[in-house]
Amino acid sequence: MRTLKLTVAAALVGTALSGATALANPYEPYEGSTLVVNFPAHPHYDAVLEVLPLFTEETGIEVEVDQLQYLRMRERQTLELTQDEGDYDLIAYVVFSKADYVFADQLHNLARFFMDPALADPNYNAADLIDGYVQNIGVAGGFKGYLPGPTGSLFGIPFGSETSVLGYRTDVFEEHGLEVPETYEELLELACLIPELEPGMGGLASRAASGHQASHAYLLHLNPLGGGIFDDSWEPIVNNEVGVQAAEALKTIVDCGIEGSTTFGPSEAAAAFSQGQYAMFLDSIAFAATFEDPSRSTVAGNVGWAMHPMGVERASQTGGFGLAIPRNAQNPEAAFLLMQWLTSARIDRLIALEGGNPSRFSTYQDAELNERFPYSATFGEALQFADPDWRPIIPTWGEINADLGTTLSQILTEDLDIQEGLDGVAERARAIMDEAGYYSWN
Amino acid sequence: MSNIQAANRLTPYMFLAPAAAVMAIALLYPIGYMVWASFLDWNPSQRIGEADFVGFQNYINLWGSDSFWESFWVTIRFAVVVVSVEMVIGVGLALLLDRQLKGMSVLRTIFILPMMIAPIVVGLMWRYMYHPQVGVFNRWLSDLGLPTIPFLSDSGWAFASVVIADIWQWTPFIFILALAALQSLPPSAIEASRVDGATPMQQILYIKLPLMMPVLIVTCLLRLIDAFKVLEVILVMTNGGPGLSTEILALRISRTASEFRQLGEAAAMSNYLLILLMIITAIMFIYTRVNDARLARIRAAGAKATQEEEEA
Repeated sequence: MRTLKLTVAAALVGTALSGATALANPYEPYEGSTLVVNFPAHPHYDAVLEVLPLFTEETGIEVEVDQLQYLRMRERQTLELTQDEGDYDLIAYVVFSKADYVFADQLHNLARFFMDPALADPNYNAADLIDGYVQNIGVAGGFKGYLPGPTGSLFGIPFGSETSVLGYRTDVFEEHGLEVPETYEELLELACLIPELEPGMGGLASRAASGHQASHAYLLHLNPLGGGIFDDSWEPIVNNEVGVQAAEALKTIVDCGIEGSTTFGPSEAAAAFSQGQYAMFLDSIAFAATFEDPSRSTVAGNVGWAMHPMGVERASQTGGFGLAIPRNAQNPEAAFLLMQWLTSARIDRLIALEGGNPSRFSTYQDAELNERFPYSATFGEALQFADPDWRPIIPTWGEINADLGTTLSQILTEDLDIQEGLDGVAERARAIMDEAGYYSWN
Repeated sequence: MSNIQAANRLTPYMFLAPAAAVMAIALLYPIGYMVWASFLDWNPSQRIGEADFVGFQNYINLWGSDSFWESFWVTIRFAVVVVSVEMVIGVGLALLLDRQLKGMSVLRTIFILPMMIAPIVVGLMWRYMYHPQVGVFNRWLSDLGLPTIPFLSDSGWAFASVVIADIWQWTPFIFILALAALQSLPPSAIEASRVDGATPMQQILYIKLPLMMPVLIVTCLLRLIDAFKVLEVILVMTNGGPGLSTEILALRISRTASEFRQLGEAAAMSNYLLILLMIITAIMFIYTRVNDARLARIRAAGAKATQEEEEA
């Protein structure tokens, strides 16, 4: 009898232990499997590749990475996601792809994974994820269709996301006793004052090339000045007083720049700033590491950072990339585990230390990170004001964005009247929206 | 006709049929696919079977689109300018270098180097040469105390700049074919004109160019087709800007498909371009036939005159 009792007790302990082991290692069922992921060629994802081997070490799940230039990545995904069985288990998607993929029902709603106790890490702490990023990149189906709201759902987790900040030359500002601009008035005044104080130097390096780049630069100013592309009824308001004011701001900035600045994309603008041709740079945080690298920048050690100046409100950019699981993924559960691991607080910190963009508020508060990258605290502060509705993430945006960008280029280079140009954009945008059915309920 | 004779006549066709069918499918299927796509409201997130049939709506939309017509005219302007200049320079160089001088083979090799370079590299190279700060052209202008030129940031200059890059890359193509045509001319015709007292210019105008014409027409046609489809160099140099000043049709088609995600409309644009190229090809072939007939008449008249002289 005693022997039987001991045997039963031992069996129970064994069962309990095996159960505990299962709970402690949710990765075990997927050990030995291989996940195929699609990442962009981007500094954040280069940092991710440094950390990724740790995932295989800790979980036994292999990861094969297909890294492509981001526009090529988008084209590849467009083809892959229409297949019955896709090649990718996890994809990084550029923010404006959210509308296309979700609308075509090509991404898993993440609720089913977060509801599964075998998959969802109770210590994931989703509240620590940067709100603006989650709303902008991850959520769809709520307000306006692409924002959170009572009907919204989560389709992706921000990963490699970015916001806008102001970089400035501390040496130039100190030499001339200049104050870091807090408002748009101060920013525009300084943008044109600097070329007078430092002949040959431009005021504010900005994107301005025809198409997407000019449109992006315009949006950087439109949002803090209180404008938008559409009102809540999808009527274009890009040509209202604020819209014109934002275009005037862009024109002022470009006119007070160096020769050839109307052809700048983000890389050219960043290169001009890093080579000492400009005193200020207003764009993505992704360029900060480059500016501080003496092998790539002549201004390393002389760059200060401040929040995106305020117009009628603070509204810095939200953009970049997120992670999602395609509906045709062959290993969606294991892909979720990888996604959860990559975006966990521990790994977010490790990636940030390798030069990646944090996705969590706590990472920005990390002492070691702030010691290595002193600008992190400013970036964390700027993220409190990241505007999730920075641009309309709708399927028709591509065409409207291109039209807005080419019209702005005509304003910048051919002296097209701003009001006339934006009136044309508004008229054409309305026709595009009408054709897409946005006024069917009016 | 006996059964054997009929079978003998059909046999070659039967042997040819499989290859002809494969060729027809390989050539025509993609074109048919594109034509079918142009009648659909199709975005890349859909399979073609899921797209809505919209008839000629894509063609009608484009017909009323200002930006499409602007790209269309930019393309025509670009193709006509580059091919005209390339033909003049290419044929001129061929006439100049069609002689046996020392080092000529090295010179000819150097001339054809540009067209061996990948278009993306050509675009990048010219973009940096045109760069306002680090580009060589503006540095030379500055060194000479002259004002710099906004090569890629001014609409007019940007168009001229992409034209120059294309001329630099593709003039050698014309040069090679024109030189080959020149070297295959019957020496007796040139010799006869010299004996008759024709000056070098008269030889070029009345003997060499007319005899080279069939090759030059095909060369011109090939370059025109290529110039209408040019993409990479302009994409890298200006991406269609400033404004729409260098947005050629191929770039707009690419944008419509990938950025605007309207595959049906992109296919309709491609078909407009295809129709335009077919019209140009037809005109040039008609001209070739007329020219061939004229040359045949001249040759016949010449032969008759020679025969009469010999008989006299």
